[in-house]
Amino acid sequence: MTAEPAANVYERQELLTGCQAVALGVALADVDVTAAYPIRPYTEVMDAISKLIADGEMDAEYVIADSEHSQFEIVKHASSLGARAFAGSSGTGWMYGFEALVVTATDRLPVLFLVGNRALDDPGAFGVEHNDALALRDMGWLLCWVTTAQEALEHVIIGYRIAEDRRVMMPMALAMDGAFLTHSQHIVRVPSKEAVRRFLPPYDLGERRLHPDNPISIAPQVNEDWVMELRRQNWEAARRAREVIVQAYHEFNAIFGARYSPPFYFDEFMTDDAEVVLLGMGTVAMPARTAVRRLREKGERVGYINLRWFRPFPTAELRESLRRFRAVGIIDRDFAHGAPDDGGVLLHEVRSCLYPARERPVVVDFITGLGGRDVSIADCLSMFELSRRAASRGEPDEHVTWIGLRE
Amino acid sequence: MIRRVEINYRGIFQKGLAKKIASDMVIIATRMGQVAFSNGRYSDSPERNGIPCKYFVFASPDLEEEELEAECGAKLDIDEADVSIVLDDTMVKGVEPWAWHGVRPINEKLVPGGAMLVVSRRDHGDLLRFVARKPYAYRLAIIEGDASFSGLWVYRDDLTHERVLGAVAGLEPHLLDIEAVAAYLWEKTRDEKRVAAAQSAYAEARARTREVRPDEGVHWDHQVPTLPRWYEFQEGIVVPAVERGFRLGPRGQSRNPQFKRATSRSQRPVVRFDLCTKCTLCWAECPDECFDPTEDGLFDVNYEYCVGCGKCAEVCPVHECIVMVDELRFEDESSPWEHWKRDPEGYVRWAEEKKGRQRLAHARITGQGQEVKLVEPVGFGQIVPARKARRGP
Repeated sequence: MTAEPAANVYERQELLTGCQAVALGVALADVDVTAAYPIRPYTEVMDAISKLIADGEMDAEYVIADSEHSQFEIVKHASSLGARAFAGSSGTGWMYGFEALVVTATDRLPVLFLVGNRALDDPGAFGVEHNDALALRDMGWLLCWVTTAQEALEHVIIGYRIAEDRRVMMPMALAMDGAFLTHSQHIVRVPSKEAVRRFLPPYDLGERRLHPDNPISIAPQVNEDWVMELRRQNWEAARRAREVIVQAYHEFNAIFGARYSPPFYFDEFMTDDAEVVLLGMGTVAMPARTAVRRLREKGERVGYINLRWFRPFPTAELRESLRRFRAVGIIDRDFAHGAPDDGGVLLHEVRSCLYPARERPVVVDFITGLGGRDVSIADCLSMFELSRRAASRGEPDEHVTWIGLRE
Repeated sequence: MIRRVEINYRGIFQKGLAKKIASDMVIIATRMGQVAFSNGRYSDSPERNGIPCKYFVFASPDLEEEELEAECGAKLDIDEADVSIVLDDTMVKGVEPWAWHGVRPINEKLVPGGAMLVVSRRDHGDLLRFVARKPYAYRLAIIEGDASFSGLWVYRDDLTHERVLGAVAGLEPHLLDIEAVAAYLWEKTRDEKRVAAAQSAYAEARARTREVRPDEGVHWDHQVPTLPRWYEFQEGIVVPAVERGFRLGPRGQSRNPQFKRATSRSQRPVVRFDLCTKCTLCWAECPDECFDPTEDGLFDVNYEYCVGCGKCAEVCPVHECIVMVDELRFEDESSPWEHWKRDPEGYVRWAEEKKGRQRLAHARITGQGQEVKLVEPVGFGQIVPARKARRGP
């Protein structure tokens, strides 16, 4: 791994919101087709892309759709013709396009979609909740969360690289917290087009490209003779994605400097001798890591794990990591009403991942930050306290605790 | 012990009929003390015109319902059939419900000694000219009648339903007892005509049953395709399209070799090339693109792909130029245009012989009289606009 990037890899710095960073990533990835239909917080991404096109900084077809469903179908079809395609949405708009999302995965078309996480109505609300993107979890999508605008820009490029790999060919959803990341401005180092070109080869569908010179049918009606074999193919792609992801980060580091560390699927913070850790996704990492620093100052052995990749889920890596701790507190910015122990989605994934391990930590769950409510440093300190109690008792007081609820 | 019945029917046209027959068989078998249920083959697509489909009835005198369900209900297809009912005799040419199924013999599932019951105006020998040979003997029974065709939402009450129930009682009395059939029909309808229809078919089926020896029937040369394993085909649900381009003449257009669909057909269009005005309507309107343009401006019919929908005959503007004819009058699917080029006069004679003077008989009540339309052949090259012919003399 190269410690320092080659000269001119990052050519300039810009003050960008998360949405603008994504749009710039889309331009740098030389996307051919994008379709737009507004919903906050995604709206700012399409606005930023239209400005890049209007300013002559990007050359792409910009199709204004009449709904999210049409938007997703347009880019799916564009992708089948060999165009690198981008779209995105948020919350219930995302759910409205869900049929198109499902078939994009089974058609194995490597589009990249941005999900600006937003609460699912009702009530109408536009703050962050992760349930919109998490709805993809069983559908054959790549799904990853970013925590900064810099990561957002870079993961557009990394995302296309992984999705379009011939071994993978799966659609990619890039999730980012509404408001806290989408609408927050930070200084972002912008890579050069030349460096991006070196990392991201042109999109090549090969023999699956729909073209008059390559007449094919995509997704005809079939009977029960075919579906299991097709699902098995999709499973194989999801399996192959695991090694492709690791390879992509290594090559990204080789060009852009040591930006990401193994195992890449998640980042660990101060976990080396930790007994109790919290694990979450998205911008909750900021207050959580700050809480870790404060507790470390008092000599407490705590740490934080920021889960970046949700699909494919880093089963082996996370199982190996978490077995070191006495307790793990899961931060769920989502809900799964009626699920086991009434915990969140992330709880169930992590507990299921840990179950086969001979030694495993006590796992407690925190539902927090729903509908865009802020998760404070104090909230994170409470979560550490409850997790530590669970560690010392060897079992949690409650499997699931709601944090930040008026009660 | 399980008794299994399959009802072969044509999609849409006989969907309601097949289900009615199956439903009543379940009810009657249950009244006789058996455990019974029925289902349609779910993998069928019975909303497609004429597509061969199946309905099933399963009955047992001694099994628990759950066990019968596990043996027969949790499966898409029937394992074997003690009775195989064929509601349209043109299906004896074979059935192909989906691509990659292959054209299957109509008696594929019939057990040794089992009974195949066909609604037909033909005799045993005529039908066996098309039915596949079995390695063992079975029974073939016929009740006289035209195929009862209706639509998706309508039902043609021509007593085929009652007559099939009576005939099955004649063939498998332990499954359906004719007294139980008669009692049930009377209680349900209070209509002597329906009871009588069942009873006469009971007698007819018994009288017109004959054993089919293992050496009878035709050699079946349709292969069942081998389905590829999951890693043996293209990912992304991508299927190669038919080859591009075409040439003039028979079989000149590319078509899907995996699904010819000819077994969806109960009639085929017979074309009098001598009357053709080259208006192109048959070629343009055919929903399955079965017409191949030829170098002399005519349009050959590819009978391997024709589903017999009748659209061409409907749009043809010339009297008697395209006429739909019963599929069982034909032995093969060779090119009619080649026949015409070889021997124009002979072809026209052949075409008129196939069409016959006595056209489709639409009986009000099958087996109890029919309306017959007699048609005079049109002379060679005597083009008469269809609208004038329709006005009549």
